[in-house]
Amino acid sequence: MLNVGERSDPNVEVHKFYGGAVPAVCLLALVFQAFLHKYGRWSELIDLPLLVTIYFGVSRRNPVTGLFLGGTIGILQDALSHDNPIGMYGIAKTIIGYLASSIGGRIDTEHPLSRFALVFVFFHLNQVILAITQRVLLNHSAPLFTLRLFLDSLVTAAFAVPLFALLDRLRRPS
Amino acid sequence: MIDTYSRHRPFALLAIVVVAQVLLLAFQIKGEHDVRLIRYWAVALVTPLERAGTWTFSKVGGAWGGYVGLRNARAENDRMRVELDQLRLRNRELESQAAEAQRLTALMNFRNAHPEATMLAAQVIGSSADPTSHTLFINRGEHDRLRMNMGVVTPDGIVGKIVEVLPNTAQVLLINDKDSGVGALFSATRTHGVVRGSGDPEPRMDYVVSDEKVQAGDAIVTSGEDRIFPKDFPIGTVESAKAANPFQVIRVQPSARLDRLEEVLVLLSQQEVVFKKPEAPAAAAAPGAALAQPSAANPPAGPQ
Repeated sequence: MLNVGERSDPNVEVHKFYGGAVPAVCLLALVFQAFLHKYGRWSELIDLPLLVTIYFGVSRRNPVTGLFLGGTIGILQDALSHDNPIGMYGIAKTIIGYLASSIGGRIDTEHPLSRFALVFVFFHLNQVILAITQRVLLNHSAPLFTLRLFLDSLVTAAFAVPLFALLDRLRRPS
Repeated sequence: MIDTYSRHRPFALLAIVVVAQVLLLAFQIKGEHDVRLIRYWAVALVTPLERAGTWTFSKVGGAWGGYVGLRNARAENDRMRVELDQLRLRNRELESQAAEAQRLTALMNFRNAHPEATMLAAQVIGSSADPTSHTLFINRGEHDRLRMNMGVVTPDGIVGKIVEVLPNTAQVLLINDKDSGVGALFSATRTHGVVRGSGDPEPRMDYVVSDEKVQAGDAIVTSGEDRIFPKDFPIGTVESAKAANPFQVIRVQPSARLDRLEEVLVLLSQQEVVFKKPEAPAAAAAPGAALAQPSAANPPAGPQ
């Protein structure tokens, strides 16, 4: 699935990973997210599937691959949740994956600060998409922005910096 | 074109995937009344189109139906108008025939009621072109055994006498013509006189002395002395009487409608005829009184 589509710019550097690394990481992220869900607040504080989507989207730099990867992760995340209708996270992750892939070829995504900022922005974008979807489709009054969401985004972005550095080790040397 | 497609392909795919997931969500989510959201959307999407289609078909169908109906109504209206004109014409013909049949029935009843007098029914076919002359033409003539000075009557009263006989027609001099004269008498007092035409629609009764008491409405009948009309046959009634010297000026209202004659009876016998007096008091008022309605004893017959 990850090789589907064409790259937006053949001159952009594309990182490749060891075989099976991408699906394995995605699966682990989902499993850990479910594991964290047992501990309540931790699952709300850190959205591992979102981080994985952002990371691989930025690394692959292919919008088609990014949107399918994000969509797959989101739908699986919905499937693993007990009350979310299928597609709630799928929509958000699809858009995030597409945007991350599109941005990855245009800005520097290797520096920790840029990664922090990138995750911070995508966290809130993901939240906005989720809130809009819930408001429009489920008629739920989901918040677009709160102080807690702000703190959560900071924690998630801070957590993303070492996580992304760890995932960098899965890249194949070019 | 190909470059544009390649450039927008990821975005198109994004839109497709997002829309697909939105539809997937709508399929799962149930709104009010436990109806799936996708059903709401489908109905909301289709209903306006269906409504527009129904409205269009309804309007077009209504307009077409109205046009066809209007066209048919117009044709039917024209046809019915023609039919109405034909029916009106037919109705007038039938009314005329009914009136004619009624008149002929009265004539036949009158003739049957007086078998002692030989009578022939005739139809008025014309009148004099001279406004001062009161004459008319009938459709009987010499071939029908008509002769000069035969009396012409209706069940209501006398009309005049034949003054000209042609093979198939005859000219009748009406009693209000200035050359006409009929022997007459008052029915009540039996005072004699002569009813003469004056050129006016109403004739006069001459030679009634001023001493005679005459009132409007007095009945005037034939005296039978002229051997033209039977005795005691109605001529008319007194319309007005003015005293003069030596004779009164008496204007007579004829019993027969001289201005509306269509069928008449010609008295073929020039012998002195006396009509039988009716036995029943109700029939004694006038000979024509028995003619009003046909009876089983006197069935109507066609004119001879």
